[in-house]
Amino acid sequence: MSVRAETYTSGFSLKEWIFTTDHKRIAVLYMIGSFAAFFVAGLMAMLMRTELLTPGGTITNNPTNYNVWLYFHGAAMILGYQIPALTGYFANYYVPLMIGAKDVAFPRLNALSVWLFWMGIVLALLTFVIPDPPDIMWTGYPPYSIKTPGNTAFYTFTVLLIGFSSIAGGVNFLTTIIRMRAPGITWGKLNIFIWALMAAFVIQLIFVPILGTAVTMLSLDKYLGTNYFNAAMGGSPLIYENLFWFYSHPAVYVILLPAVGVLYEIVATFTRNRVFNYNGVVYGGIWGTVALSGVVWIHHIFVSGMPQWIIIIEVFTTLAISVPVGILLIGLVGTLWKGSIDFKTPMLYATGFLFLFLIGGLTGIPNAMSSIYIHIHGTQWIVAHFHYVMAVSVTTAIIGGTYYMWPKLTGKMYSETLGKLGFALFFTGVNLTFLPWLYLGYLGMPRRYYGYSQFPQFQPIQQFITFGSYIIFLGALVILISLIHSLIKGEKAPQNPWGSKSLEWTHTQSPPPPGNFTQPVKVDEDWDPYGYNK
Amino acid sequence: MGNHIMEEVVGHAKEHAGAHELAWHTSVWPLLMSVGILFLAPLAFAFYFVYQNPLLAAISLGIGAPLTIISIAGWVKEGFEDEHHYSEGHSIWAMPIFILAEALLFVGFFAAYWVLRLTQPSWPPQGTPEMPLLIPIIMTIVLVSSSVTIHFAEKRLEEDDRSGFTTWLIITIALGALFLGFTGFEWNELWHEGFTPKTNVYSTAFFSLTGFHGSHVLVGLAIFLCALIPALAGKISKPYVTAASMYWHFVDIVWFFVVSQVYFW
Repeated sequence: MSVRAETYTSGFSLKEWIFTTDHKRIAVLYMIGSFAAFFVAGLMAMLMRTELLTPGGTITNNPTNYNVWLYFHGAAMILGYQIPALTGYFANYYVPLMIGAKDVAFPRLNALSVWLFWMGIVLALLTFVIPDPPDIMWTGYPPYSIKTPGNTAFYTFTVLLIGFSSIAGGVNFLTTIIRMRAPGITWGKLNIFIWALMAAFVIQLIFVPILGTAVTMLSLDKYLGTNYFNAAMGGSPLIYENLFWFYSHPAVYVILLPAVGVLYEIVATFTRNRVFNYNGVVYGGIWGTVALSGVVWIHHIFVSGMPQWIIIIEVFTTLAISVPVGILLIGLVGTLWKGSIDFKTPMLYATGFLFLFLIGGLTGIPNAMSSIYIHIHGTQWIVAHFHYVMAVSVTTAIIGGTYYMWPKLTGKMYSETLGKLGFALFFTGVNLTFLPWLYLGYLGMPRRYYGYSQFPQFQPIQQFITFGSYIIFLGALVILISLIHSLIKGEKAPQNPWGSKSLEWTHTQSPPPPGNFTQPVKVDEDWDPYGYNK
Repeated sequence: MGNHIMEEVVGHAKEHAGAHELAWHTSVWPLLMSVGILFLAPLAFAFYFVYQNPLLAAISLGIGAPLTIISIAGWVKEGFEDEHHYSEGHSIWAMPIFILAEALLFVGFFAAYWVLRLTQPSWPPQGTPEMPLLIPIIMTIVLVSSSVTIHFAEKRLEEDDRSGFTTWLIITIALGALFLGFTGFEWNELWHEGFTPKTNVYSTAFFSLTGFHGSHVLVGLAIFLCALIPALAGKISKPYVTAASMYWHFVDIVWFFVVSQVYFW
């Protein structure tokens, strides 16, 4: 058996990689694409932070350059990195392995998903070579996006390509999970990650099309002269803002739910413990979030003009969604309770998440209350809040999850020393950056400014933040080095280095062969992916 | 029918006995199709509308369109030759999920239309000509008939009457094409009366909704062609036909919303 497996894993064939329909290799293609987007978008962040070292122009005197960096940073981080990393890379790698399937339901459609995503990345990267690149942030609000000489069409099509890739992925994975679970894996025994991913894909299928319509109308208005957002002809830019946030708030949960799902796998494995409150987490936490996700988007546009009663309702719905999200967090903390905790690198990231997400969540509560929100709207407070809650929290899950699956994915162990060093730098840098950033916003510094000569008193804080962000970048480099180091020098990984009870570790070798399992998978009645206490 | 079931049983037995896969599976079509789509839509659109370079737009279309069509053909062919049967029987589950997403696309456009309409001081807005009402009625009849004919085609297939299936499928495709013909005729008429997407908010919504629905009819026809061409060569996949028919019924249902909201309200 192992001799046979060798023949699959040794030898590299480019043809077998780019034309692959195997979910494990598609996962790697997603990983490369999303990490590339992460890296370039990170470089944009470094450019912006460097620009903000002085109140005037530091490395550019042209505000449009800053807008283009801001566009690429936001669009690539969300559409190119976080969503594909979780619903592409992690989903592809884990789903068939965790449910005991040979592959997904539609392997060729899966390959189309990943390549459409890559085409979206290509389109986004063309930003740097085309004349008049998009300069409309990741939100693309009209009327600016329609009046700017920047190429709004590329924004539209980047969203449409990646959106279609998401929809194809959603159809594929929901069908896979519904139809291809191995005998014995019932709904009550699914890994939390699978549940979280299903929820994320349900959200994607419902809300991505709405974003698709919004950005399509943008290009129709700009290039074909329709009047959706043209106030002079009776149209309204508010239609765009509503459609956009109707998707983009739930998008937060598309990212958050699978991230939390991965962390449940990590925490259960490294505490040798059952998942605390499994049913509550699944039905209350995960599906409760889905149920409320579509009725909170108004809090993004509290100051855009609307009747007061809508604002009041949305204050309550927004506060209400912290209940299911709270259940998810309590489940994670409860899983630690009486566990035998082993602080390997993935577990460090998981605990890091608890801290970062707590700050992100607590700084969100004032944003939900319209009376406070009016004062902090458009300040750096909001930027710092969503970087805590989305950007860095979810990144801990993506990097921690990568370390966790690395032995299975590559068949190599990574260096714990390098892994922990990367975490220390990342975690320190993140807090040195975003804690003072919250304070900067509280003092009233507006967001999106490329210079701040009106507010020279903020320069020391801005400089402190910039140096903090350099530490994050250093951490990211160490993380990258640790992964490359493992590929070159890593020890051979055993089948189940973490002693996990989950199917992907117990039933197949590292890395798994084509078709995943050498024997058809069947689990008996007392099997449980978290059965550590039995 | 009996034979089919036999084959399936033997197939499953083989899978279990054969224990595991012997090689990495590959297909060239997904990558080629995605490159085709990149040239066909984003690049051609940007060359034409953003950079106003019709030559580059034409070249882009010239690369994208054939690449996409060849990839679809290759994909369909490969589907029939597939020996792994991973996807068998899943499409009737997948299609309703896909239709959910498609329906939401229309919800987005309808929501925008309703907001535009309900916030206007008067309706119809200035510049709107007398809208034709006979054509949409004929179009409705044509599309509903096509939903019935595809149902007949499915019935024939269930009875293993392959030539009957092909005949009804061809009739369905013809009705769909007729529907698109009416759309083209009507657009042309309105355009000549000076009613273009730019005219006012009603024209904006009118051309978006009818055009968007028409593009779905076109996709439905493409899906049917991918069933018809292999069927003429004697190859039929029943789950594929079921899924295609679901999609067609969906396009039909959406038309009721379009026709009632855009023409008769």
